[in-house]
Amino acid sequence: MENAAYIGLSRQMTLRRELDIVANNIANADTTGFKVEQLLLGTEVGERARNDAVRPGVSFVLDNGVGRDYGQGPLNQTGRPLDFGIEGEGVFFEIETDQGPAYTRDGAFVLDPEGRLVTEAGHRVQGQGGEIVLDPAQGQPAVAADGTISQNGQPVGQLKLVRFDALAALSKGGDGLYRNASNAAAMDATDARVRQGMLESSNVNPILEITNLIEISRAYERITRMIENTNDLSRRAVERLGRAS
Amino acid sequence: MRALRTAASGMAAQQLNVEVISNNIANMNTVGFKRQRAEFQDLLYQNVERMGAQSSAQGTVVPTGIQIGAGVKAGSVYRITEQGTPSQTGNRYDVAIDGRGYFQVNLPSGETAFTRAGNFAVNGEGQLVTDDGYAVNPAITIPQDAVDVSISKSGQVQVITQGSTEPSVVGQLELATFFNEAGLEAVGDNLLMETAASGPATVGTPGAAGFGQILQGYTESSNVDAVSEISALIVAQRAYEMNSKVISTADDMLSVAAQVKS
Repeated sequence: MENAAYIGLSRQMTLRRELDIVANNIANADTTGFKVEQLLLGTEVGERARNDAVRPGVSFVLDNGVGRDYGQGPLNQTGRPLDFGIEGEGVFFEIETDQGPAYTRDGAFVLDPEGRLVTEAGHRVQGQGGEIVLDPAQGQPAVAADGTISQNGQPVGQLKLVRFDALAALSKGGDGLYRNASNAAAMDATDARVRQGMLESSNVNPILEITNLIEISRAYERITRMIENTNDLSRRAVERLGRAS
Repeated sequence: MRALRTAASGMAAQQLNVEVISNNIANMNTVGFKRQRAEFQDLLYQNVERMGAQSSAQGTVVPTGIQIGAGVKAGSVYRITEQGTPSQTGNRYDVAIDGRGYFQVNLPSGETAFTRAGNFAVNGEGQLVTDDGYAVNPAITIPQDAVDVSISKSGQVQVITQGSTEPSVVGQLELATFFNEAGLEAVGDNLLMETAASGPATVGTPGAAGFGQILQGYTESSNVDAVSEISALIVAQRAYEMNSKVISTADDMLSVAAQVKS
């Protein structure tokens, strides 16, 4: 009898986690370069609560990963010369942090007091040959589609664009940056394009997320009802069996 | 329930977004105003199951892991230093900068502030001052008997005095530039202050390489685009609504769970 309650509980727990992820997607619907996430669920065959050698085990629900959709987000025009959007899926800017290289799709860069191209958090943006230094006195920087930055007609650096074989091995640090958790090194992405004066919006589809929200809420109610019914059943069984005949 | 707090962070972020947009719209007609934009970042992630973790003694690893985000935070609110449209005023002490640079202003405290608002005037001593009465640096004094004042593109101030036909030079406007203009701190009254993030000011003559030109009889309008601000406002409002939906859903689920009893 408890089997149903335990299976229901496993589903309830994954539903709560799904809600956490949907909430995070919606909260980040306006975050530059954010990629939508989804809980991946699987079936986990487990032992029955009651030892019964004849019948097979029962199937619980288990979350075995969070999938990130690295699909292209829409590029929005900002008009700022140091905003860069990437056109090309699974391609990132390389950023130098104190903890080693990190990767981002958020190309809202600024210049630090020494004229180096940095992220808003102050991490240096990597170019093909180290850091990129711009001289504002040389006029507005122009960026070609392959990431070459030129000032006054002279090339001054090239943004380093990389891609990964295994995108699933990228881990998020919470500072808008991805870090490589696998041994495979990043590869140069030659087919991606950089768009100057544009930023990539998140690829969260609000309608889809609200639909997910409704589904999660209803599924939670159904499962809860199922657990209630199971409890009811065992309560009534105890009452009936306990009645003096 | 984490979803409640995640959605609350989303609402707080959108509220900040609306505050920034409303400030832009309120300053649509402020001389020399530069629009701002709020930039968001995702908050820290909780690693429920670490990717790359060993899933068996045979050395198999978890391919994706479970990382659950905790919402959103404001990364920064920065100024977009795009050129505003020069608008003609006809006032001879109004100057607009076409290109890079800021006018320097001496504050009563002795500090130097920077501004793009060139709607200057002359005080009782004939000195060129901002509309708050702060002297423009370097000091320029217009003689009392000046009939006409002309300011050249390179910032040279010339006057024609009563009874003379030859213009005489009375001063030179200078501009200051920064490596990181977005790092200047706004202190109100159209004034900006130098910070460690902006880097030190480089002072030079208007029209020189890397410096803008001076336009007399014009002021620089704000670079706020009403249409894009209004559409940003709509997006922010909808995002706020959606986050509130998440809160009510999480609340519903909690109340369903609370009602289970037998």
